[in-house]
Amino acid sequence: MRGARDETTILRRVMAILGPAWVWACAAVVVAVCLFGIVYLFVEGAKAITPDFLFSETLPSWDEKSSGGIRSPIGGTFIMAVLGLLFTVPVAVAAAIYLAEYVKEESLLARSARLGLEVLAGVPSVVFGMWGLALFSLPQLAFLSSRASGTDADAAFGRSFIVGAIVMAIHILPFVIKVMEENIRSVPGTYRAAAAALGMTKWQGIKKVILPAARPGLITAVILGLGLIVGDTAIVTLTVGGSMTMTGAEQWWLPQHWGATLLNTGSTLTTFVYHQSPAGEGNAPTKAFGAAFLLVLIVLALNLAVAFLGRTRRGEQRV
Amino acid sequence: MSDAAARSIPPRSPNRIVEEGHHLDPDRPVRILLASATIFSGAVVLLIVFFVVRQAIPVFAHEGLGFLLRSDWDRALEKAWVDPTYWEFGALPVILGTLMTTVGALVTTLALGMGCAVFLAELAPRRLVGPFQSLVRLLSGIPSVVFGLIGLSVFVPLVREMFVSDAMTVKYADVPLDGQSLLVGIIVLTFMILPFFVTVATDSMRSVPESYKLGGLALGMSRWRTITRLVIPPALPGILAGLILAAARAVGEAIALSMVAGSLSNVPSPGHGLVFFLEPVRTMASTIVENGEALAVHSIESAMFGLGTLLLFSSLALSLAARLAFAWFQKRMGMTGGIR
Repeated sequence: MRGARDETTILRRVMAILGPAWVWACAAVVVAVCLFGIVYLFVEGAKAITPDFLFSETLPSWDEKSSGGIRSPIGGTFIMAVLGLLFTVPVAVAAAIYLAEYVKEESLLARSARLGLEVLAGVPSVVFGMWGLALFSLPQLAFLSSRASGTDADAAFGRSFIVGAIVMAIHILPFVIKVMEENIRSVPGTYRAAAAALGMTKWQGIKKVILPAARPGLITAVILGLGLIVGDTAIVTLTVGGSMTMTGAEQWWLPQHWGATLLNTGSTLTTFVYHQSPAGEGNAPTKAFGAAFLLVLIVLALNLAVAFLGRTRRGEQRV
Repeated sequence: MSDAAARSIPPRSPNRIVEEGHHLDPDRPVRILLASATIFSGAVVLLIVFFVVRQAIPVFAHEGLGFLLRSDWDRALEKAWVDPTYWEFGALPVILGTLMTTVGALVTTLALGMGCAVFLAELAPRRLVGPFQSLVRLLSGIPSVVFGLIGLSVFVPLVREMFVSDAMTVKYADVPLDGQSLLVGIIVLTFMILPFFVTVATDSMRSVPESYKLGGLALGMSRWRTITRLVIPPALPGILAGLILAAARAVGEAIALSMVAGSLSNVPSPGHGLVFFLEPVRTMASTIVENGEALAVHSIESAMFGLGTLLLFSSLALSLAARLAFAWFQKRMGMTGGIR
C-alpha cells in the first residue's frame, strides 16, 4: 500500500520534470528551425540581390547566367496585388457592412451567407486555380484572355493576369470580409447612437461615422488580403501560366501596352521561385533564392504594418 | 450549429431598435447594393462546387469507383496525353499520397505543436511569449513556395546524406531514393501547418478559467499535473478544432509538396521497413498544380477535376467538422465570445 503510493509520487515527480522539459524542447526546436531557415534564406538571398538583379528584364534562358533579372516577376506580383485588391475590396466592404450592420443574425440570408463564406475559406487554392482555368477557357469568356491557338478553335486560352486576379479576388474574399466585419462590429454602439441623434440616416451614419472609426481595422483586412495574394503560387501557376517573361508586349510597363500585358500571361515572384528552383525547369537556384528573399521581406513588412495598425487601433480605443 | 455561429458574434448595440423605427427608408438603393454583394460572396462557392463537379462527371461515368480504387496514375496520364480515348485512370496512389503526408504531418504537429501551445499558454516566461508568438505569426505568413525552396535545398540533401545508403539504392532500384521523399514532405508540411494549430490550441488553453488552475495549485498539485489534468482536458475540443483546421491546410497544400516529396505517384511499401519514409510520393493537390498544361486534353482534365472534387469535398467536410468542434468547445466553456 505504502509502496504503491510512493511509486505514484515518484512518477509524478519525474513527470513534473520531464513534461516541462518536453515543452521547452518543442519550443526550442521550432525556434531553431525557423531561425535557421530565415538566416539561410537571407544569406543565400542576399548573394543574389543586386540593383541589376532587381531591375533588369527577365530573359527566357536555360542558363542561370543569361536569364536576366526579376523585373517581370516583380511587375507581375504588383499587377496581381493591385488588380486582386481592386476586385475584392469593394465587394468585401459592402458585404462586411451588410453583415455587421444590416442583416438580422438569425435570418436565412445571414446564416447561409456565413456558411457559404466559411466553406469558401476552406477551399484549397489549387481548386480555385483549376476552376478559374476551366471557367475562363469557356469561349464566351475569351475576351478576358486570348484565343487558344492550335487545339480547339472555339476555346479561350483561359490564362491571363485579369483571369488570375479575378480568381485570386474570390479566393481572398472570405478572409477579408471576416476581418472587416469584426472591425466594423467593434466600433462602439455609442457612435451609432450619436449618428442617429444627429439626424443621420443609417447609411449616412455608416459612411460618416462607423467606417472612419473602423478604418485601421479595414486597412488591416486589406493588408492581410495583400499577404495572401503575394504569397499564393498555385492560383498563379494555373491561371497566369508558367512563362517567366511577360507575353503581352516586350515593353510591358509602358501605358500603351498595359492592356496587352493584362490580357496575357507572365510570372509573379512566387511562380518565379517555383519554376527557377531546382524543382522547376529554369534551374536558377541563386535567382530563386533572391526572389524568395524579396518575398519574405514583403511578408515581414506586411506583418509589421499589421502590428503597427493594431497598436494604433488599441491606442484609439483607450482615448 | 448555426446557433453557435450566432453566439460567436458579439452582441449588437441597443440602438438597433431605434434605427428600425424608420418606416420610410431613404437608404433602400444602398441596402440593395450591399445585400447583393453579400449574396454574391456567400453564393460564389456554389458556382465553384457546381463547375468542379460537372467537369469531374465524365471520369466517374467512364470508370465509376474504379477511379478511386485502382492504382495507375503517371503511366495513365502519359497514355491519355497521346490517345484521347484512353480513360483508365487509377487515382489511388495520389489519394494515398495525400493521406500519408497529411496523417504524418498531423502526428508530428500534435507532438511538436502541443509542446509549443503549452509553452505559450502556461510555461513560457512573460518576456518570451511576445517574441515566440510573433515568430509563429511570421511562420504562418511565409509563402508555401519558400517552404518548398528551403526544404528542397536544405532538407532533401540532408536526408539523402544521412539516411540513403548505396546498398539501399541497389536493393530498392525501382524507386528513386534521392532525398525527395515522404519524410521531407512530412517535415516541411509540419512547419507549414504548425502555426495554425498552435494559435488555436493556445487560445483554447488560455480560455480555460484561471480558477481551475488556482484550485489545482491550492490542492498541492504540481504545475505540470495542473496543466495535464485541469487545463488540457477542458480545452480538448478546441485543440481538436485546431488539428482539423491544420488537416484542412495539409490536404490542400500543393506547391511545397510538389517541390520536396518527389512528384512520383509511388506508393511507399510498408514492407520496406523504414525505407518507407524515404520513398517519393505525390499528392492530389500537387498533381493538379504540376499538370496545368495537360488540362487541355479532355480526359486528363476530367481526371484532374475528379481529384479536385475529392479535395473540395474533403475540405468541405473538414471545415464543417472544425465548426462542430468549435461549437462543442464553446458550449463546454459556456462562452459567448468566439475564440477565432
